[in-house]
Amino acid sequence: MQEHVQLTQRQINEDLLSSVLKTPRWWWPAVIVSAAIFLTGIGAFGYMLNQGVGVTGLNRPVFWGVYMVNFVFFIGISHAGIMISAILRLTQAEWRRPVTRAAEVLTVFSLMSALMAAPLVHVGRPWRADLWVFPYDFARGVWINIRSPFVWDPSAVMTYLTASTLFVFVALIPDLAIVRDRTDGLTRKFYAMMAMGWRGTPRQWKLQAVAGILLSALVLPVFVSVHSIVSWDFAVQIAPEAWHSTIFAPYFIIGAIHSGVSAVATLMVIMVWVWGWGKYLKPDHLDAIGRLLIVVATTWFFFFFLEWVFALYTLEDPELAVRELQVFQWPWSGLFVVFLFTAYLIPVPMWMFRSVRRSYFWMFVTTILVNIGMWLERFLIIVPGTMRRGDFIFDWGSYHPSIIEILMVIMTFAWVALGMLVFTKLFPLIPLFDVKEGMVFRDEIRIGRRVVPASIRE
Amino acid sequence: MALRSVIGLYTDEDTAANALDAVAGAGFDKGEYDVLTGTPYPDGTFGEEEPVHKLYRFPLIGAACGFTVGLLLTTGTQLAFPLITGGKPLLSIPPMAIIMYEGTMLGAILFTVVGIIFESRLPRMFMGAYDTRITEGYIGVTITSDESKMERAEETLKSAGAEEVKRGWEQTDF
Amino acid sequence: MTPTAIGDDLFDKGKLRGKKFRNTVIILGILTLLGIIGFALRVIDTIGDGTHNTPIWGYHAALFAFILTAAQGAPMVAIAPRIAKAHWRRSISRIAELFGLVGVVSFLIYIPVAWVLPSMEDGRRTLWFYGELKVPAHMPEVTTTLVLLALTITGLVLLWVSAMPDFAMLRDRTTGSKQRWFAWLARGWIGSSKQWHWQKHRLGIVGAFYFMMLITAHFAYSVDFGMTLVPGWIDALYPATHAHNSLQSGVAITLIAMYVLYRFGGYKDYITLDQFWGLGKLLFALSLLWFWFWFSSFIIFWFGAKPAEEAVLDLLFVGPYLWIVFIVFIFAFFVPLWSMIWNPLRKSVWGPVTIASGVLVATMFDKIRLYVAAFSVSDLPNKHELVDILPGAVMPGVPDVLIWVGGISACILIYMLATRIIPPINVWEQKEVTLYRIHKPFHRTEVQILGKPD
Repeated sequence: MQEHVQLTQRQINEDLLSSVLKTPRWWWPAVIVSAAIFLTGIGAFGYMLNQGVGVTGLNRPVFWGVYMVNFVFFIGISHAGIMISAILRLTQAEWRRPVTRAAEVLTVFSLMSALMAAPLVHVGRPWRADLWVFPYDFARGVWINIRSPFVWDPSAVMTYLTASTLFVFVALIPDLAIVRDRTDGLTRKFYAMMAMGWRGTPRQWKLQAVAGILLSALVLPVFVSVHSIVSWDFAVQIAPEAWHSTIFAPYFIIGAIHSGVSAVATLMVIMVWVWGWGKYLKPDHLDAIGRLLIVVATTWFFFFFLEWVFALYTLEDPELAVRELQVFQWPWSGLFVVFLFTAYLIPVPMWMFRSVRRSYFWMFVTTILVNIGMWLERFLIIVPGTMRRGDFIFDWGSYHPSIIEILMVIMTFAWVALGMLVFTKLFPLIPLFDVKEGMVFRDEIRIGRRVVPASIRE
Repeated sequence: MALRSVIGLYTDEDTAANALDAVAGAGFDKGEYDVLTGTPYPDGTFGEEEPVHKLYRFPLIGAACGFTVGLLLTTGTQLAFPLITGGKPLLSIPPMAIIMYEGTMLGAILFTVVGIIFESRLPRMFMGAYDTRITEGYIGVTITSDESKMERAEETLKSAGAEEVKRGWEQTDF
Repeated sequence: MTPTAIGDDLFDKGKLRGKKFRNTVIILGILTLLGIIGFALRVIDTIGDGTHNTPIWGYHAALFAFILTAAQGAPMVAIAPRIAKAHWRRSISRIAELFGLVGVVSFLIYIPVAWVLPSMEDGRRTLWFYGELKVPAHMPEVTTTLVLLALTITGLVLLWVSAMPDFAMLRDRTTGSKQRWFAWLARGWIGSSKQWHWQKHRLGIVGAFYFMMLITAHFAYSVDFGMTLVPGWIDALYPATHAHNSLQSGVAITLIAMYVLYRFGGYKDYITLDQFWGLGKLLFALSLLWFWFWFSSFIIFWFGAKPAEEAVLDLLFVGPYLWIVFIVFIFAFFVPLWSMIWNPLRKSVWGPVTIASGVLVATMFDKIRLYVAAFSVSDLPNKHELVDILPGAVMPGVPDVLIWVGGISACILIYMLATRIIPPINVWEQKEVTLYRIHKPFHRTEVQILGKPD
């Protein structure tokens, strides 16, 4: 069943600008709570800067802990935006229309959280973080080492962040014009400046369409490269076990798509619940995302299987020792079971049922489970690999995240929430012009007694 | 000579298309009139010509610039500080390729965005004749021309069935 | 065109077979026989040696890999766009599905390779953990054979299910023995709504199953018949790379088949610019991904610089097969990237077809590089690391050339003969699209409306 309600432009403006032009009662408390959590994390960060990284659980040999896990996790979430926006734009999938901007904005704020997690927090001395990216000291002639994955990382992540931000901005211009036309005074001047004099001529609309396709085509290769490069932080190394595998690039990317698209689905349900946008984010959209997730999750599982099979294929004792730790030793075995069930074994069978895919509640639950599982997946890759449990290795270590680390992990989630809340106050989260275009381009074909939904194809 | 603009507001596509025909018939040049809508329509809906643009040049130029910067950065830093790290030789192509690739894509994307804004004829200092009801579903037909032609423009738009005709902000040529 | 006119037109085209067709079939038949002679020469070499003499079968193994990759990947061109409900695929889905028949030839070519594969008793690393697990010593051959058989059967089933309504049309338009054959193939098809409903479901399920079998087949063959033979080669991405190459080559081979039918088959009304453009875009994306898959493996080996990995890089990339790597790189990635980036070339008939030809050449050389190299080191004593002196590039002998020529000719032959029985354009899908695609005026312009049924 494909439900459709034809709406006028005025109705669409009223519905979708409600978040910008009005402030619901829950908004301020939500912002205050998110900001409070974020600032608590900043406080914890300040404490760590003052006291040193010893206040974390990191120690020899486990030098990479939850900060790195968080970094990889948020890079993963950030892949949702481009996946949904670019790929669905290029394939002209009509159902993408109300979803694209929320996904793109989630990308931008997730990338910022990722940058917080690694260069800002994980490095311990963030004031030196720029030194491995930018030229260090001309007088001493020391330059960056471009042979290091830690230089590839910032080049990729900053390119992706820039590209995503610009992608959001370009697609936002027509909507900024709508907000400009609905406001006055200083607010109007702000939106008028951002809209740059947009009027809606055929030339401008044509270029919006071309821009969407062109930017999608340009950002997609960046999307593939970013998480590949992040995965190579681990995979090119030969010292930590369970990392040196060629599968990491596609494995991380498909995992990113899995967690990212799930996060977008979670966000869609939240948008319906708090903003009442059920007219625009319909069960049809969740159904489409659910079916996409089945394919993505199964592909992810295939790569997970490949990773494991070829890890065992090496028949190398240190590698087998890590795998044994992950599967058979508590608490890692517990985390492993939770990861498998939450990332795949519970959600995917549930998504096979149409009623689950079309239920806001169950899609919310299953997609949250996926992201719990995917966070644990990254944890299980990063930490056991550095624990070096094996025969005749005496440099054993264990790892327990400290309260400081936990607060800072929560801080990154609060940042995303805060960023999304502030964004929805300033800009419409569902692209108005895209939804309006969908209404104009929508048509029907009558075949006998049946009416088949159709759309105009240029 | 100073340019002035006027807009006629229409409630449906066919009337707006008829108005465009009337404007063309009244002797105004193609560059003097345009149609404003709050949502994209298929090309040619109002009988207008398909806009021609050269947007594709921008990503190519940007990619070339980005590639060059990436090449200079990677080559230059390695030659300036020739330290063998991890057993990798100087001017190792694989890591250089990664950074050059990212530079190329960043250049292409930056230039594309500049191109989109430029080809959209933005930013526009003077909006000309405009009405906020455009973004509520009205269709506007604007004429920008000399002061001497404004009355004729208003007459043409009114007789084509405009719900309202009004003058906009004035745009002067420098 | 009305659905009736489409049926009449395609039925008439199916009857047209001129001298060119017959002469081509004869030539291909002769070349196939030459291939059989080449194969016989190789068998004589092997039996005469007393051992399986695995290294001399590298080119044969590469031929099978090439056919598995190119021809048996082609049905995906029908399956994936069908799932995505892309209307442009309708004219070419049968062209892609017909390659399922080539699976029969491919399976026959595979059998000798399974025969010469060393048993796991030689001590090499395998997916079967021979020694740790109590599996038969010839488990790789058994499983790969079963998987390939399943893939071939699924390909045939997919073709049959897709063609059933068209067999019914042919049954209704022919007489005599031909009518009896088509009646048997049509399995009582009358076009009831229940039959059409199940047709869609069956195509979906069989298509999904074909995709899974294709991935499994690539996994099994690439690892058990390639990677495990090279001491020290541990590449978890390789099966996925092999499968991806199949998607890329499948699109390429479909483009070429499309062009032949477009140019010589008289199907210009059905195979239009839309189809070439659609596949051209896919080929462009897959060619970019080719580089990504290759680089993802390469950078790990290069950066890690472990002795075993460096030895594998020497064997497969920078050593005796470096010149092949250049050819593959240029035709599988470099040329598609720099040519298909241009819209005028991508949106043309000749552009994607020319690039597709290059991609197939690249795939051919790539499989030769991988399998000839793998088979050339399959009899080295050290099974866990390539420490012996690297063998030089193995050049093809006369039997190898004959096998290649004969194998490819046999595949083309079976495809051509199939088009005599099975319409290469999917008639019922062509009729169906007339329901879902209309042109209508939209204010001052005309637009195309595309319906998307559930």
